[in-house]
Amino acid sequence: MYSTGHLIQRTRAAWYASFAFVALIFFAGCSTARPPTAILRNAELEVRAADEAKADELAPADLKNARDKLARAKQAMAAERYDDARRLAESAQVDAELAGAKADARVMRQAADRILKKGDAPPSDAESESRKPLSPSPKME
Amino acid sequence: MRSHLSSRVLRRAVIFLVASLSIGGCGTVRNPSLERARDAYQKARQDPLIVRNAGAALDRAQLTLETAEQLWAKEHDVNEVEHLAYIAEKRVEIARVTAERRQAAEELKQGGGRP
Repeated sequence: MYSTGHLIQRTRAAWYASFAFVALIFFAGCSTARPPTAILRNAELEVRAADEAKADELAPADLKNARDKLARAKQAMAAERYDDARRLAESAQVDAELAGAKADARVMRQAADRILKKGDAPPSDAESESRKPLSPSPKME
Repeated sequence: MRSHLSSRVLRRAVIFLVASLSIGGCGTVRNPSLERARDAYQKARQDPLIVRNAGAALDRAQLTLETAEQLWAKEHDVNEVEHLAYIAEKRVEIARVTAERRQAAEELKQGGGRP
C-alpha cells in the first residue's frame, strides 16, 4: 500500500519536473520579444538623415529598401509581431545608413572630379577665347 | 518491482528531455548567408584602402559578424543568424563606401590646394 502510493507520487514528480524544464526552455526563447520602440525610432531617424543627404537621387534603390522595410516594421509592430518588427527596423536602419553613405560619397566624388578636371584639363574653348588679347594680331596687317 | 518501475519512468523522462533539446540544434549545418557575409568581410579586411580609411566601420561589421557566428554555433537560430548576416554584409558595404568618400575628400583637399 505504502509503496504504490509512494511510487505514484514519484512518477508524478518526475513528470512535473520534466514539464517545468521544457516550459522553462520554451519561455526563455520567447522572452526577448518586447515592443522594439527605440529601434523603430532610430530607423526612422536614419531614413530621414538619408533623405536629407539626397539619397533619393543618389542612392534610390537603398533608400527604397529602407523605406519599404520601415513600413513593414510598423505593420509588424501594430500586429504585435515584435521579433519581426525589430529585425525589419534594424534592416531598415542599416539600409538607410548605406543610402546616406553612398549619397555622401557620390557628392564628394563629383566635387573631387570637378576640381581635378579643372586643374588637369586644357582650357575650354570659352576659356581660350576669353584669354585672347583684345588687340588685333600682327598677322592682320 | 518498485525500483524497476521507477527506473523505467526515469529513462522515459530522460529520453523525452534529450529529444526535446535536440530538436532545437541539429548537428553542424552550414549557413550560406553567414558564409557570404564572412567572405565579404574578409575581402574588405584585405583592402588597405578600406582598412586605412574606414577602420571603425569595418570593426562594426566584424562585431555583427562575430555575434552571428556565435549565435549560429550555439543555437542555430536560422532567422536571427540570417538577419545578422544581412546586417554584417551591409556594414561591410558601408565601410567600403565610407572609404571611397574619404579617398575623394583627400583628393579634393590636395586638388583644391593646387595653384
